[in-house]
Amino acid sequence: MTDIPAVDVRAEMLSGAKSLTVAAAPTKSRGVTSDLSIDEALLLHAAGWEPVDLVCGVSVVSVPMGVWNWGQGEITSAAAGHNAAVREASAELRNECVKVQGHGVVGVRVDVEVHPHHIDVELTGTAVRPVNQGAHPAVPASPFISDLSARDFTLLAGAGWMPVGLAFGASFVYAPRRSAGDTMRQKTQNIELTNFTEAMYAARESAMERMQQSALDVHGQGVVEVKVTEGPMHFARHAVGFTAWGTAVRLVADAHQFVQPQVILPLDDKIVAFEAQSLRGA
Amino acid sequence: MTQPQDLPKDAAHRLEELEHGLFTSDLSVNEFLLVKEAGFHPLGFVMGSSIYHIGLQTRKWGESQELTKLTEAMYTARELAMNRMEEEATELGADGVVGVRLDVNYYEWGSDSAEFIAFGTAVKAENGQSYRNAQGKPFTSDLSGQDFWTLMQTGHVPQGLVMGTCVYHIAHRKLTQALGSVGQNVELPNFTQALYEARELAMTRMQDEAGQLNASGIVGVRLEEKSHQWGSHTIEFLALGTAVTKTTGEVTLPKPITIISLDN
Repeated sequence: MTDIPAVDVRAEMLSGAKSLTVAAAPTKSRGVTSDLSIDEALLLHAAGWEPVDLVCGVSVVSVPMGVWNWGQGEITSAAAGHNAAVREASAELRNECVKVQGHGVVGVRVDVEVHPHHIDVELTGTAVRPVNQGAHPAVPASPFISDLSARDFTLLAGAGWMPVGLAFGASFVYAPRRSAGDTMRQKTQNIELTNFTEAMYAARESAMERMQQSALDVHGQGVVEVKVTEGPMHFARHAVGFTAWGTAVRLVADAHQFVQPQVILPLDDKIVAFEAQSLRGA
Repeated sequence: MTQPQDLPKDAAHRLEELEHGLFTSDLSVNEFLLVKEAGFHPLGFVMGSSIYHIGLQTRKWGESQELTKLTEAMYTARELAMNRMEEEATELGADGVVGVRLDVNYYEWGSDSAEFIAFGTAVKAENGQSYRNAQGKPFTSDLSGQDFWTLMQTGHVPQGLVMGTCVYHIAHRKLTQALGSVGQNVELPNFTQALYEARELAMTRMQDEAGQLNASGIVGVRLEEKSHQWGSHTIEFLALGTAVTKTTGEVTLPKPITIISLDN
């Protein structure tokens, strides 16, 4: 009986997993994938850019047990986890973009989920590059990322601005508690609850502060389309989370280019669809 | 530089960063370009908030009346939030705040209390001219970037976000009244009158605020009616709008181009 070499299952799995993580090198024959609409692709092309490929970056970061339940002030480990997850996912996305030789990613869909034990961040977008780059286009080491649509990207580029990256900030706090005595005393009064106000106000400000810091880190001059979300965590009512994020932009032209809009007046009537249901009465 | 006392520590740090040239704004790209087009540059996303405990006031079942204590609470809390937002804008040396949103949040842990928040983007004129209002404060306005540009084209400038509020308790009908109108087409005068009066009160208060700013008019007025957490017979009427004044003489507006789109 001949010796059959023992199969190293672990090594096999590792090499399998590794080959999955390595994206196929782009070839000439490879088609373009993108989630842009036809209008957007056209606009992008008019501005001298073209889509290359659909890219994504995912990161899951664990949050220590029990941080949500009891405490005072800010939940720093959650904010740090959030920060790390976003940074990792952005780095992933940039890597993928470089691999397909894109110069940046537009229309990034941002999906952040905060769970009791982990924070998931998922970024998906379309890598783009300038048209007519020749055989060996110079790919920037750090491509830009932006959640602006291709339409907004075109508009901004026309005005002399370029997106540089996503700016993110998060902050989680425990809601303060009132003593029973205070609650009774204030029952009939019109009064500002200063400790609550301070806690929420400060948390919101620190989320925005972190967003600004991350914009400065990518050398942004401004952040547009800032979105703020807030609210109690669904698994821990006494913990309130704030996030702020937007696209950091930078003026690349010598000066802002004015767009000079014209006033138009569409003569379309609103289309009133006939609905059989409405005849029956409400 | 002296910091305002009641702004949080992080706010002061954040505003300092903004003074060094970075700007933030919740304006969309469209709005950003239009604000630039109007000759303004965004300075920063500004905010103010106040968590306020709203007192109790007894209502009479069968009597329509304004609940002055609740009106006062709703008004004061919004003023606090707005003032803090203005304070942040002043800190940045802004001429005004555009795209102001006023929100009310309720948290599970705060019974009878609500958080009033004001958000907006502080802007500054690029020609160095001051656009501050009659009181020397940055103007506030709930107009979008699009509306702001259009307003500026007409030679008007915003003066301030003005509001009036009135919390009103609407009387329940007596049983005999309710029975008497069964099956009939009839106006319910006490309901009509109560709603009418409450709306008028809110609007008058808004106009008074505009008067204090020496405004020549109010644009984009919205009238909101909400019961918040008070049950169906107690309603807050909130009137909100942007007070404006005319600065220049005659302006010739370009004739709009009429278009018809084929993509319906």
